[in-house]
Amino acid sequence: MMKRLVAALAVATFALTSAVRAEDKPAKITVGYLNLVNAQLVTKHLGLLAKEMPGVDIKYVKVGGGGDMLRAIAGNDVDFGGLGNPPTAIGATRGLPIKGILVINLLDYVEAMVVRADKNIASLKDLKGKTVAAPFGSTTHYLLLQALKDEGVDPASMKIIDLAPSDIAAAWLRGDIDAAWFWEPNLDKAVKNGGKILITSGEMTKRGYPTWDIGVVMNAFAEKYPSYVEKFIKAECEGIDFWLKNPEKTAEIIAEELSLPLADATRMMKGTGMVPCNKQLTEDYLGTSARKGKFVDTLVSTADFLVKQERLPKLLPRADFEAFIQPAYLEKVIGR
Amino acid sequence: MSVEASPMAIPISADRTRRGSLRLPKISRSVLLSTLTVAVLLAAWAVVTEMGWANELFLPKPQAVWAAFVKTMTKGYQGATLLQHLGASLYRILVAFALACLVGIPLGVLMGVSKNARSLLNPLIEFYRPLPPLGLYTLLVMWLGIGESSKLSLLFLAGLPGIVISTIQAVTSVDPVYVRAAQSLGATRRHLLFHVYLPAAGPLILAGMRISLGFTYTVLVAAEIVAASAGIGWMIWDAAKFLLSDVVIMGLIVLGLTGVVLDLMMRGIAKLLMPWSRI
Repeated sequence: MMKRLVAALAVATFALTSAVRAEDKPAKITVGYLNLVNAQLVTKHLGLLAKEMPGVDIKYVKVGGGGDMLRAIAGNDVDFGGLGNPPTAIGATRGLPIKGILVINLLDYVEAMVVRADKNIASLKDLKGKTVAAPFGSTTHYLLLQALKDEGVDPASMKIIDLAPSDIAAAWLRGDIDAAWFWEPNLDKAVKNGGKILITSGEMTKRGYPTWDIGVVMNAFAEKYPSYVEKFIKAECEGIDFWLKNPEKTAEIIAEELSLPLADATRMMKGTGMVPCNKQLTEDYLGTSARKGKFVDTLVSTADFLVKQERLPKLLPRADFEAFIQPAYLEKVIGR
Repeated sequence: MSVEASPMAIPISADRTRRGSLRLPKISRSVLLSTLTVAVLLAAWAVVTEMGWANELFLPKPQAVWAAFVKTMTKGYQGATLLQHLGASLYRILVAFALACLVGIPLGVLMGVSKNARSLLNPLIEFYRPLPPLGLYTLLVMWLGIGESSKLSLLFLAGLPGIVISTIQAVTSVDPVYVRAAQSLGATRRHLLFHVYLPAAGPLILAGMRISLGFTYTVLVAAEIVAASAGIGWMIWDAAKFLLSDVVIMGLIVLGLTGVVLDLMMRGIAKLLMPWSRI
């Protein structure tokens, strides 16, 4: 009985793998994108991916935050995804089968900590005894803990709770929380309802804690369809170029994708940093295959912080984070 | 599983069966078989992980899970020890379950005795009973906020229909002969309720309570997803975000064992309160 089961499984696996090998074009690809304001929305809206991959069924899945994206990747639910540096450090340390291939965006004031204006919160020290929300495992959760540590405020002196961005907005409207560090488009709902910005993720970049989102691909997909990884990057690069060259049209697209007034979409756009694809291969970002850039440094310091927070078991050697960043596909697209 | 094996059960069953001498080996066989299942599972787990057939990210070694257990017991997970997490969860479950019983049993008796009450209340119960808890939860969070009240309400609502429906069934299936006999002896409504309906319906009500406790238990992780900072369900959910599969599996095992213990306690209580019930 057991033997027969094993044999049947082996036959099925063989049949599946050989069926995949027979064609070098995926029938379907799934792109997990973060619910955030960046050029991936442009790529999606203009159908640029479909233009690069005719005949491939393209499915977009909206993911709430980094923690959820990690689960989606671990569950093999996406082919491409986007991750902030803290979840990337988690994924790389835990050995998720993914590679970082593209800078999706840098995080400026598109992410920020909002506090209730009527609660007299002028600095992080005033958060003592208050309820503070952040999506755990995400960039903002990391920055919150990092900022508290920098100012010498004990995280245990306040109630820090884990909420998804959309739930933060709802809890804010109900008055359940006093402060939250999260991102647009939901951030604006808190700001407009009695909130003020205390600190932005951009300010944390200046303090030496940059945050960004990186595009990742599943290793198995990249091995099977390397040319489709390049096609994906090409489409995303076109989206980034469009964003940089046509700000007005981009704002219209963002406004439509996220059902926002145009003015809000324009402001949120400016809070997100876009890096043109040819610049991504420089020292400040991914770097080149021969010499990896500063993203590796950020990953190492993020992972180190998470280890100290007991969120990660151990700090991996730098080489493992270097191996995670793979500029090779982008190099081919740019033509270097 | 081990109630049969409890020392109390032995003399009773030995009395009842004619093959008294065969009784003891039979009990140990059932214990043996149960142990065998657990042992085979554990062995399979150990072999699969030792041989490297499974990615450790998804299925960590039994030792790793044990280490996670010891660490969480002693040092805790994110600010609370395992017992504190368990305490937070048990508090939520037991409070919600007690409320569900306090509301559900009188409601069920009322609906079982009075046809009018049944017609009035049935649409409500029947409508929300099949609703998925998570769908209900989003609304509860909007209404009641992210604190304990929305969590307790969700668990309460998950437990309630099971109790109500089984109580109705229990009361309606009481033999009318008992009722008429008592009435002919001059029993008041009060007498009927406490001396006929409740004792006769008790075992079925208790069976419903057991099912309902199980139901409350299954909704626990969902209830602790939103804005909790302690609880076994929250611990599992949080650990999954950081891909700490050893903590996830450890939490699931603790959840499962606690569920078994709670069920055993319910059966124990049933035996104490209603020695005539055959739960």
